[in-house]
Amino acid sequence: MVIASMIKLEAQQLIKEATSAGRKALLEPEAKALLSAWRIDVPKSALLKTEDDLRVALKKVSPPYVLKVISPDILHKSDIGGVVTGLNNQEEIEKAFKEIKKKISEKSARARIDGFLLEEMAPKGVEVIIGGLRDDQFGSAVMFGIGGIAVELMKDVSYRLAPLDKEEAMSMMKELKSYPLLTGYRGSSPVDLGKLGEAIVKVSEIIAELEGIKEMEINPLIVYKDGVMAVDARVVLTGGIS
Amino acid sequence: MNIDFFFNPKSIAIIGASPAPGKLSNVIIESLKRIGFPGKIYPVNPKYQFIDDLKCYSSCTDIKDDIDLAVIAVPASIVPEALKDARGKVKGAIIVSGGFKESGVDGRGLEDKIKRIVQNNGIRVMGPNCMGIYDTISRVDTFFIPADRIGRPKKGGISILSQSGSFAATIMDEMAAEGIGVARVVSFGNRVDVGESDCLDFLADDEETKVVALYLESVDDGLRFVEAASRCIKKKPVVAVKVGKREAGVYAARSHTGAMTGRYEIYRAAFRKAGIVEVEGYEGLRDACRALNIYRPARGKRVLIVTDGGGMGASLADSCEELGLEVAGLSEDLKRLLSSDLPSYCTVGNPIDLTGSVTDDWYVTALTEGLKDGFDMAIATVLWGPPQLTEGLINKLSAVIKGQDKPVIICTPGGEFAKRMNRAFEEKGIPVFTTPESAARAAAVLANARGK
Repeated sequence: MVIASMIKLEAQQLIKEATSAGRKALLEPEAKALLSAWRIDVPKSALLKTEDDLRVALKKVSPPYVLKVISPDILHKSDIGGVVTGLNNQEEIEKAFKEIKKKISEKSARARIDGFLLEEMAPKGVEVIIGGLRDDQFGSAVMFGIGGIAVELMKDVSYRLAPLDKEEAMSMMKELKSYPLLTGYRGSSPVDLGKLGEAIVKVSEIIAELEGIKEMEINPLIVYKDGVMAVDARVVLTGGIS
Repeated sequence: MNIDFFFNPKSIAIIGASPAPGKLSNVIIESLKRIGFPGKIYPVNPKYQFIDDLKCYSSCTDIKDDIDLAVIAVPASIVPEALKDARGKVKGAIIVSGGFKESGVDGRGLEDKIKRIVQNNGIRVMGPNCMGIYDTISRVDTFFIPADRIGRPKKGGISILSQSGSFAATIMDEMAAEGIGVARVVSFGNRVDVGESDCLDFLADDEETKVVALYLESVDDGLRFVEAASRCIKKKPVVAVKVGKREAGVYAARSHTGAMTGRYEIYRAAFRKAGIVEVEGYEGLRDACRALNIYRPARGKRVLIVTDGGGMGASLADSCEELGLEVAGLSEDLKRLLSSDLPSYCTVGNPIDLTGSVTDDWYVTALTEGLKDGFDMAIATVLWGPPQLTEGLINKLSAVIKGQDKPVIICTPGGEFAKRMNRAFEEKGIPVFTTPESAARAAAVLANARGK
């Protein structure tokens, strides 16, 4: 309990600082730190404030890598070329730095660049989305969906008010038409439903407990035979919404 | 806060009472007399000395006694005055007048004004723009529609809460025609004060109410609603229809989650949290009321289908499965038993197909034995074509339905003869569902309903 409330205090502090700095959302490393604090696994990573940090970073994380820009002005990084995947060594990473900077100067010239996030690339698995949002009338809610197309095209998602327990989290999965994607489809092996259920419960706790968060999502969370990995996360702040 | 006086008034003032037949205040007085309101009725209107045989008062303050309920039926612009006049005298007011939020900018301003008055007036207010209360227990009827146009149901166990007056009135009319009884019907309209959560709080503890049916466009206070509905569901089933499903979300849409989520998705999550059974549209709510009027919620989702027509049974099985019900197979023991009790050309599976050679007794055998086999409920598709079926089936099936506690839903599509048989069932208080789809929906409501 003591640890839980300390984590909550730290998270509130993080949100407060971001809000008073005029930011509408947490930066990706901050969002991931929040998830880590709630014990949702995230990829091993290194923060690169300058390109000089790269040499040290390479000793900490192993290839293949993903390089992502960190900017308070960019919420959807991949839409503007702020993410490069499949990097294997220093040379390729340095090339990717240039590529990202060039794309940003073309598409979003006024975006500030705080640095870069070098992450270990997560292996393939089943991609899911876990969202959280704060509703004016009903308080906090969670959303769950599987994969890109089923979610975006078919709107095959389920909702519950937050917080919820593991049984409800399981029922959110079973409610989806795309549920068989989790239990083994066309020879793929079933995924770790237990860990996935826990991740949904944790997101429901985060959104229920941290009123400073307006919307959040882990997209994608990759689910494996054993365990899950939050590959990308967004946390939109209440104070940042006019 | 206690709003019992709306449902148990000893006296009612009609503010803006008129002797002119057809005027809504006059219809309300007539309705109160017709239903036999046992308390005192006080017409209020400075223009008249008497309304029929009732003494008319020029102001609430002229009435000596305290008044539990005032029905305000004056033009919108005079409503603020009427509320002020009622102050200190009246516990609850129903403003049936329209011309508020629903009718443009001026009306909205007027509604804000009465909201402010209500906040420090000490009067609880229902409406405006509502039909008010039809209550068979306290014998109150403020629905200002003549009874020859919209029938009034007899006394029963269903209570209806509706934001819409026309929705409530129409469902009442159908229930009256079919002989289904209600306890309390509330049309609360624009909801400046009393709304769904206050009423749910009352209905939760109301011994007369066995089932609550809700029609919602929105709720006033989401978390309070979930809390009130959850409490109610511990005691009795609550079903709801939510309209306005395409209303966009109010989220920042800075994430996929925010962009994808509409208001309705959150309502559904809230219904689920509270244990409310959501139904589709007017028909869904009407059929849920018909089913819950006589059947208790089922213990689970396992449905036995008994039919005398293969196709109708198959169609019903499809509908059931689409709604998440289990049309499970029969146990070996039951198969053996039915195979010896029924002719060999009957299909002993689920559905059990009794074929066109069916007799009244085969239905009784299949249903009675079938329900002992771990099924939570049964649907009997009765097609009246088979010549050996007799009208005696109605009594026999009624006895099956009333003789055990699992629901047995009757499904009979068809023309004149079938409709006549359906009415005969309904006269015994048993609803007949006239399509496989509506029968399956009724079964799903019983499977999902809580508050047993």
